[in-house]
Amino acid sequence: MKKVMILCAAVLFSQAVAAETYQDAFNKARAMYGKGHEFQWQGKTYQTLHEEEIEADVDATEANAKALLEKAVAANKKVADVGFEWKLTGGLLKQSAQAIDAGDYRKALDLAAQAKYHARIGFAQYGYAQANWIKAVPQ
Amino acid sequence: MRIITGLVTVGMLSLGLPLQAADSGFNLETVNPEADRLALQAFYKKRYPDVKIEDYVNGIYALDAESHEQWQEIEEFPPYEFSIEEGEVLFNAPFANGKTYADCFENGGIGIRQNFPYWDKEDGTVKTLEYAINECREDNGDKPLKWGKGDIARISAYMAWTSRDNVFEIQIPQDDSRALQAYLDGKKFFYTKRGQLNLSCANCHLQGSNIRIRADLPGPMLGQVTHWPVFRSKWGNLGTLHRRYAGCHRDSRSKPLKPQAEGFRNLEYFQTYMSNGLVVNGPGARK
Ligand code: HEC
Repeated sequence: MKKVMILCAAVLFSQAVAAETYQDAFNKARAMYGKGHEFQWQGKTYQTLHEEEIEADVDATEANAKALLEKAVAANKKVADVGFEWKLTGGLLKQSAQAIDAGDYRKALDLAAQAKYHARIGFAQYGYAQANWIKAVPQ
Repeated sequence: MRIITGLVTVGMLSLGLPLQAADSGFNLETVNPEADRLALQAFYKKRYPDVKIEDYVNGIYALDAESHEQWQEIEEFPPYEFSIEEGEVLFNAPFANGKTYADCFENGGIGIRQNFPYWDKEDGTVKTLEYAINECREDNGDKPLKWGKGDIARISAYMAWTSRDNVFEIQIPQDDSRALQAYLDGKKFFYTKRGQLNLSCANCHLQGSNIRIRADLPGPMLGQVTHWPVFRSKWGNLGTLHRRYAGCHRDSRSKPLKPQAEGFRNLEYFQTYMSNGLVVNGPGARK
């Protein structure tokens, strides 16, 4: 799938338009500089951190790990209910729970964050699809 | 922490030719299956002017000369031949109550593949051939078969075999709007991007048909359902359409639906309607 990925990136950047949305600006900065970098959008400064990276950046305690895992499970249920669950999310959730059992709360937080990210983007994908799927149909 | 980025920024992927935006066909009021079918044929006629519409029943082998040669070699000794014979035996074996599959189907189950899937008004759902086979078993007090391969594929193969060259003629009854809704759901499923790779079936099988994606060459969506079940070299055995659906659904890095889930049955309803006018040529052989 590497080729497809490169292709996606190329298409992504070629489609940059005049009025850049926050999401576009974020994606561009994130792709170019990685995480934790500052970027400007409409005169304000933001960080290239995903919501989940901020959520995982807490003390590695059992309570914190359990709380984030719970959020991730809920997010995945929401995306599964609309038929857009991703392939790896279930496994990440399982591994996160196992890491909690093993007392590795840092690992559990990171895995739960990944799972929640998958679920969140999957749900956004669902929203996007509602308005846009028809554009691919030959007329 | 490692988060997979890059790939999915929702909405960015447009593999190949962008098609024009549509203002109809996306809801019950405006969807028109026959217009969809003709538009799909027009798409392929324009894309591959030298390929005859009736040749699309051969999938990728209709478009790619190299694959076609390999496939003709396979078809000289069709790997599904025994399965048809086994399917015939299974088909004729009576249930404990003395009845057989023939009692469940129109025309004793012979030469009817082209009518599946169909809208069942009473049950309010799309029924595929495999669904009907298992329903027949259960109605006669027998256990349902597993959906993906094995006996269900053999019985399905025999029934397709008796229907070879019959023309697909899927109906969408007008007196029940739920049938049209099922068609629409299937259509939407096919064109919707999903999964971590943000790919729709159409990305690979419409825009991407006959365009190499790494080592793979996706075939055209027109005619994709005419030749099932398929003996696939990669599987080493005969499998059902929904087994393949699940594999391709997973290829977008989605958690796939289960065979015969409503979503897949609606997808098959849509896809088979798109292939109306083509002939039954199952069972088939594929790489
Ligand atoms: C990443 C690209 C890709 C995606 C996405 C994809 N497929 Fe496929 N598919 C393939 C390839 C490659 C093959 C094997 C070549 C062929 O026969 O088309 C294939 C084969 C098939 C076949 C068997 C064709 C035959 O002639 O026997 C069917 C049916 C099918 N796909 C349906 C689907 C459906 C439905 C979806 C959406 C859920 C889908 N595919 C998504 C790449 C893809």
